[in-house]
Amino acid sequence: MSTYVDLHIIQNLPPSCVNRDDSGSPKSAVYGGVRRLRVSSQSWKRATRLYFNELLDASDVGIRTKRVVELLADRIAAEAPDLTESAPALAEEVFKAAKIKLSPPRGKKDAPQESGYLLFLSTSQVARLAVLAIAAARSGEKLDAKEVKKIFKEAHAVDVSLFGRMVADDTDLNVDAACQVAHAISTHAAENEYDFFTAVDDAKSRSEEEDAGAGMMGTVEFSSATVYRYATVNLDLLAENLGNSDAALRALEVFVKGFCLSMPTGKQNTFANRTVPEAIVVSVRDDQPVSLVGAFEQPVRTDETRGYLARSVEALAEHAHAVEGTYGLRPVASFIVSLKDSDAVASLGERVSFADLSGRLRETVAARVADEEQA
Amino acid sequence: MAVLLLRLAGPMQAWGVKSRFTVRATELAPTKSGVLGMLASAVGRRRTDPIEDLLRLRFGVRKDQPGTVIRDFHTARSLDGKDSMPLSERYYLTDAVFLAGIEGDDALLQGLDEAVKHPVFPLYLGRRSCPPTQPVSLGLRDAPLYDALREEPWLASPWFRRRHRHSAFNAELLLDLDAVPEEEHRGDLRGSRDVPLSFDPRRREYGFRQVERLEVPLTAPADKPSSSVDAHDPMADVEEAAQCS
Repeated sequence: MSTYVDLHIIQNLPPSCVNRDDSGSPKSAVYGGVRRLRVSSQSWKRATRLYFNELLDASDVGIRTKRVVELLADRIAAEAPDLTESAPALAEEVFKAAKIKLSPPRGKKDAPQESGYLLFLSTSQVARLAVLAIAAARSGEKLDAKEVKKIFKEAHAVDVSLFGRMVADDTDLNVDAACQVAHAISTHAAENEYDFFTAVDDAKSRSEEEDAGAGMMGTVEFSSATVYRYATVNLDLLAENLGNSDAALRALEVFVKGFCLSMPTGKQNTFANRTVPEAIVVSVRDDQPVSLVGAFEQPVRTDETRGYLARSVEALAEHAHAVEGTYGLRPVASFIVSLKDSDAVASLGERVSFADLSGRLRETVAARVADEEQA
Repeated sequence: MAVLLLRLAGPMQAWGVKSRFTVRATELAPTKSGVLGMLASAVGRRRTDPIEDLLRLRFGVRKDQPGTVIRDFHTARSLDGKDSMPLSERYYLTDAVFLAGIEGDDALLQGLDEAVKHPVFPLYLGRRSCPPTQPVSLGLRDAPLYDALREEPWLASPWFRRRHRHSAFNAELLLDLDAVPEEEHRGDLRGSRDVPLSFDPRRREYGFRQVERLEVPLTAPADKPSSSVDAHDPMADVEEAAQCS
């Protein structure tokens, strides 16, 4: 049995194209027999991780890159300026000791070597690896492969602990993600639309001899929808990945903030779709994570008096109560942050401000973690 | 011997068998390795832990609402945006509802039932971004797998059942060959390489099993026009027809 924290979000996406496929269409999925707008989980996870940069110290955030040799060499050179020249070679040795394959980037033979895939490293891991490499260079001894591996397995960055890491060369270094993020889908049927645009050539339009034709034209595909977003965090696994429960509570707080307020950046300059959630429900559970997406299997409909947002919150509340009543899946505690107040909102949990949410969540979860540690 | 029934439903699912590199396909029904893997993680087993006991379980799945396949175009970039990874295509099964059955030793199944209700690691339908809708466990049945999978009421959504209200819907039933009683053999067999011999990422191994394909006629319970979900809605058929075209 584990402690889970479920996040349910109802959010409005005005005309926008935050996540598109290879033909430029907003992503979609069929659910309940009708087409919906979809924003992929990986898209919103990336937006969440980028948001972490604003919330966390650099030492807590990981970096995902192939340029690991360059990264470590820079750190070695910064710590030990006398080793600047040999730093790239020292860095290469470290990754070789961890059995991570390196090769020169394609078409650039002289550039520092790179790993074959994106590697997720925390700043504290990079610092510790640099110390090890410098010590080895100074003493003239061979790097201890065991020590190197140990560093790869400990002190993961907050984002590595949440989103996991895969190392194809050595699966011992894998980290299982402590959070699970679903694809966001619209609560109602949503079709894509096309915006036909023309762009005027200013110089041409000033000339009296030219026709009035546009300088260029094209189409942008977009959609507009109210979406349901869901994520769940396995608190026990998060604590295991981070090494202690205090760090896990902090990471949870950061994740909740980042997941709620982040927005994928696709076509943001075109559509300025910078919305915040209409309603956020955070539930602490000790049974099983519960996605409430079933609330929208029957697509939400509107009339001229009420839009999708209020109806979606109502459907969410109705479904949450049905799940609780029918299966006894009762959360330990539920908090709701909502722009508006209504019966549906009141029934979903204790209404709190967004500023108070993390504190209340922390109180609830910390008490459980303390109990478990004693047991 | 008992049977644990699972309802595998959600907006998206993905059940891979032979995916390699940048094309990540999905089968059209949950795989034995996918479902056993889900149960193993619910119990809290790591990928390297033994699964011999689970391999003795018999498995079958009924396609109550087959769903549709969509393609997801997937890009990946480093956080600083400087490095790009190979583009990949991920296929998903959307809008599908399955009834899966696991047959085996009573005590083991009771443990698994409890684990699905209180999973150590969160459950997902083949891919981590595909959480299930509730309930996943439909509980234990005291019947052979073959009968349990035929007798369970149709799990499809109201809109799907409405489409088949004038005739029975023949659901495909894919069963481990040895779970089909001898006199019921139809001979519609296929090999499937989805028996998980080991989930250990260092040496993942899969074996073959023989799967028999049968059909189960399912009918919707009598319409209840008074229920709020199926309220009188003359436009629904028209809209459905439009969506099908």
